[in-house]
Amino acid sequence: MIPLLRYHFALLVGSHRWLPPTILYAAYVAIGIRAGDPVLDGFGYVAAPLLPVAAWLVRAGVTAEPPAARACTAAAAGPGRAHLAAVSTAALAATALGALGTAFTALVSDPHSADHRVAVPMGPATLAGTFTALCCVLLGTAVGALANRPVVRSPGRAIPTAALAALLLLVAAGSPANAAVSGLVTGSPRGTVTVPWLPLGIAAMITAAAVAGACALSSRRT
Amino acid sequence: MKLHKVGRRYGLRGPWVLRDVDLEVPRGALLRFEGTNGSGKSTLLRLCAGIDAPSTGRVTGRPRTAYVPERFPAALPFTALEYLSHLGRVHGLRGAEPARRATEWLERFGAAGHARTPLAELSKGTSQKVAVAQALLAEPELLVLDEAWTGLDRTARGTLDRAVAERVTAGGTVVFVDHDPARLAGAADACYRVVDAGLRPQETATRAAGATTGPCVTVVAQGPPGADPPAGLPGAPTTAPGPDGTTRLTVPAAHSDTLLHALLTARPPWHIHAVTPEEARPDRTAPRPESP
Repeated sequence: MIPLLRYHFALLVGSHRWLPPTILYAAYVAIGIRAGDPVLDGFGYVAAPLLPVAAWLVRAGVTAEPPAARACTAAAAGPGRAHLAAVSTAALAATALGALGTAFTALVSDPHSADHRVAVPMGPATLAGTFTALCCVLLGTAVGALANRPVVRSPGRAIPTAALAALLLLVAAGSPANAAVSGLVTGSPRGTVTVPWLPLGIAAMITAAAVAGACALSSRRT
Repeated sequence: MKLHKVGRRYGLRGPWVLRDVDLEVPRGALLRFEGTNGSGKSTLLRLCAGIDAPSTGRVTGRPRTAYVPERFPAALPFTALEYLSHLGRVHGLRGAEPARRATEWLERFGAAGHARTPLAELSKGTSQKVAVAQALLAEPELLVLDEAWTGLDRTARGTLDRAVAERVTAGGTVVFVDHDPARLAGAADACYRVVDAGLRPQETATRAAGATTGPCVTVVAQGPPGADPPAGLPGAPTTAPGPDGTTRLTVPAAHSDTLLHALLTARPPWHIHAVTPEEARPDRTAPRPESP
């Protein structure tokens, strides 16, 4: 699996298709996070966009190879494993972005509630921020896996589907990403930290199922 | 490897491209598939290579596999050497081995000068050499060639023929499709025609009949006095006694190198007197006299 991940990482880096989502995310963080802002709001703010960013990176990852090259990789490693490597590489890249965003927020933000009166414990707050970011990365990966080949093959349908699904998962009540982000933001006025164990668990299960389904389909819909 | 009642169609209601195909691919065999355009040859090869899963039935016992597509327009952000090294590692090679073998295969195909050229800038033929090298450097147990010769120059086609013979001699299995009916003629163990979504065994001009088409090479060799040629020589040569206690061994041209290698490295080694290319296998029937 490591050689496959290396190959897909080199593909993603060399294709420069990681740049647009990364630049957008960096700009979003740079605009939204200012020194001295309440930390819990900041964690919620940097986590939410990771969902569409992860979906975008997964699209870049699974469409990086032309069909002929994909066939060669699939014969060597098995189509399912090759697809899993492409999705995982993108998810890892999104996780790295999330780690940078969360670390930046933790460094520059004010560890207090929204009104700057109640101190927020940084350990649990950072854990909650990290889990929320992970939750968004995972669900973005699930969206990317289900809204691209081999499930949705035409780009004309794949891109709007992914955008709509990412938006829905961010705003719809009951979505683990929405629950994790709102847990941070609603806790900020009173300085209470909610670590999103349950949303993260559910997001992990949804993503595992979505990615497994996409990988299983990769040899059936070519 | 075995295909059990394998069927494949694209889409839930698409027409069956292949249906109820049973096929046993023995180890060390060289198999050829034929068929008209769109008959399902490529689908069959993709099923053999494991790139596609069958819609019905199953494929069992597929060994370590490499695949060469017909065209390789790989707009990947790598140089030829980088790509081949990556693929070598994906195939399970470690350390400096992938880069070493990649260089070696590019040299063999006369593309060593393009090792550091980005894939996107390679000509069609050189791209195809990279595709072929990708598969050969892994020394796969199953090599699947979908018109891999297309786009290669004459010298490279010959090199690929010999590489296929080497793979078969080393115990690997090769399945291929090519539009040239003379491709590896006489070397293939079996030939199947894809017709009406099924497979039909084709008469290959078997060696037993001694009348294959295609170019052959005759090697005149001398072993220890009274010894028979070693058993299991590559290309299953037809043998005939030659002058002065020598033996004439005739094989399909693609197998000439592997035959020489086997003879020279036999215990005790055989001495080579002469190597002669021939256009057709000399069969034992006398040539028909020209009519006046």
